[in-house]
Amino acid sequence: MNSLYLPHLAQITGIKQETQDIKTFKLALLDLSAGSFFNYRPGQFVEFSVIGEGEAPFCLSNSPTRMPKGSIECSVKKIGKLTQALHDLDIGDRVGIRGPYGNGFPVEQLKNKNLLFIAGGIGLAPLRSLINYCLDKRTEFKGITILNGARTPKDLVYQDEYEHWRKAKDTQLHLTVDCQEENWACMVGVVPKILETLAPTCEDSVAILCGPPVMIKYTLPVLLKLGFCETAIITTMEMKMKCGLGKCGRCNIGPLYICKDGPVFNYAQVKNFIH
Amino acid sequence: MLRIAQKEELQKMIDGFLADYEVIGPRELPGKGIFYQPITNAQDLYLGERFAIEPVKKFFFRPSEYLFEGGLKEGSEFLEGIPLAQNKRMIIGVRPCEARGLALLDKIFNTEYKDEAYVSLREKTILVGLSCQAPGKDCFCTSIGGSPVQARGMDALIFSAGSKYVIEIITDKGKDIFDTCPKEPDKEEIKAWESLKEKSNAALRKKIKIPESLDNIFESGYWGKVSSACISCGVCTYLCPTCHCFDLVDEERKKLRCYDGCAFSDFTLEASGGNPRPTKMERYRQRVFHKFDYFKKNFGEHLCVGCGRCIRHCPVKMNIAEIVDQAPV
Repeated sequence: MNSLYLPHLAQITGIKQETQDIKTFKLALLDLSAGSFFNYRPGQFVEFSVIGEGEAPFCLSNSPTRMPKGSIECSVKKIGKLTQALHDLDIGDRVGIRGPYGNGFPVEQLKNKNLLFIAGGIGLAPLRSLINYCLDKRTEFKGITILNGARTPKDLVYQDEYEHWRKAKDTQLHLTVDCQEENWACMVGVVPKILETLAPTCEDSVAILCGPPVMIKYTLPVLLKLGFCETAIITTMEMKMKCGLGKCGRCNIGPLYICKDGPVFNYAQVKNFIH
Repeated sequence: MLRIAQKEELQKMIDGFLADYEVIGPRELPGKGIFYQPITNAQDLYLGERFAIEPVKKFFFRPSEYLFEGGLKEGSEFLEGIPLAQNKRMIIGVRPCEARGLALLDKIFNTEYKDEAYVSLREKTILVGLSCQAPGKDCFCTSIGGSPVQARGMDALIFSAGSKYVIEIITDKGKDIFDTCPKEPDKEEIKAWESLKEKSNAALRKKIKIPESLDNIFESGYWGKVSSACISCGVCTYLCPTCHCFDLVDEERKKLRCYDGCAFSDFTLEASGGNPRPTKMERYRQRVFHKFDYFKKNFGEHLCVGCGRCIRHCPVKMNIAEIVDQAPV
């Protein structure tokens, strides 16, 4: 019998250097009979492993509407031992994949709503999956506003998709960086400040945000001030994970396990446990 | 269904079990204490009142075990599960609190996502319990839904009654193994058994009250105060019959699963250097909330069986029963 923790083998079919320390890997599963694996939703994640080095969770960063069956994309920021090992891999190398895990975004709740996407840094990865999903089913959603921030212009991920997002019907993209640099024509300022200036409508709207804890912390009060109700603020949470299945015991926020009950939560669910 | 056997008869039955089963039970190791270990002879068993230091959990959820092995070297790409052990096992002398602990672990490991290593060991193991007649001073099972004579999670439960054992048969598995013991207790013996159970319950003195919910005291300064003595050694988590936190570690070409615990500072330490539970306060609070609040919200009962091991073996005398009892809700 196979272990619950036994990954499927996958092959790296593409690597894109997004920024100095972020790469997007395109992977194809070698075992096409791995059935249910191939049906994932935006917002879900996989346990990605380099056999012999370790394993960690990464969100699926592209929409299932844009991936061939059995293929996925994960964007990885080089920050520790495992992510260094991942960055050292080449096209053709084999890795392990378990999943997909987690609840994903509540797509039904988003239908016929204005969508406000707020991302900071690599936090755009899970949102990109949902943004592309919504753009591919454009008629099911109302206006789309994307506010994407990074430390510097060089730290912006998925830059080659911005043109496509800008041109999509009834879709706005706002880019901001923390510090002004030469040849930067977009906004300067941290995400919460820019959000305050943009003051998007809360009417018939849902805000979906993902970014570093400090961005989340200061963006939440702005959203509440703009009139978004707690259940109309959706965020994806992260903590150290091992099993991805609600067993190993480290990723809970209160009684909720990020791996099993999340990683997508609305603010009402987690407000007592995030500070 | 009840059976009754002379103590020598039970010993003979156990020697009979040894032909078909790997038999595990409490043994007295001189100078060390009582430990569950495989036995080769019924005489090896210690069926007295002292408690085993480690819980039987280790025979199901093992302190460390390989889950699969694999390699990505050219020509030999593979990922394969480690074959599961096949032998039939019987554990004799399990305490009611520990069998209950396994029933709680089932809620984690035997769910929609089945942990095969655990589930297969559970399925092929028969549990024969031993009721407690002299509960320890740190035991508090009756305050948390258990009792010294409770049969939950067992296939059969044995009660020592003078020169005899009363055997309470719970499941078909229990019935099968004791079919060589046809004698049923008579009215007098049943009456004696019932009063024995009452006495056992009465012998358990420690009573605590467990708040309905800890929601209101998540931010309380109480957690900083009660956790200040903790030295983060984690012995409470290793010896707990219900603690199930684990780590998955790559060891060369094998995946090792080993015990981990909320007491350790690196349990939630992220590669970025961030840690949502940076101090003992957050870690101890997590331990208490997981056991006495979150698990109940998720599974309808507390993740503690009141065995008192974490109290008996804590090197700095932390007492979770008193900490919960005195929580300022």
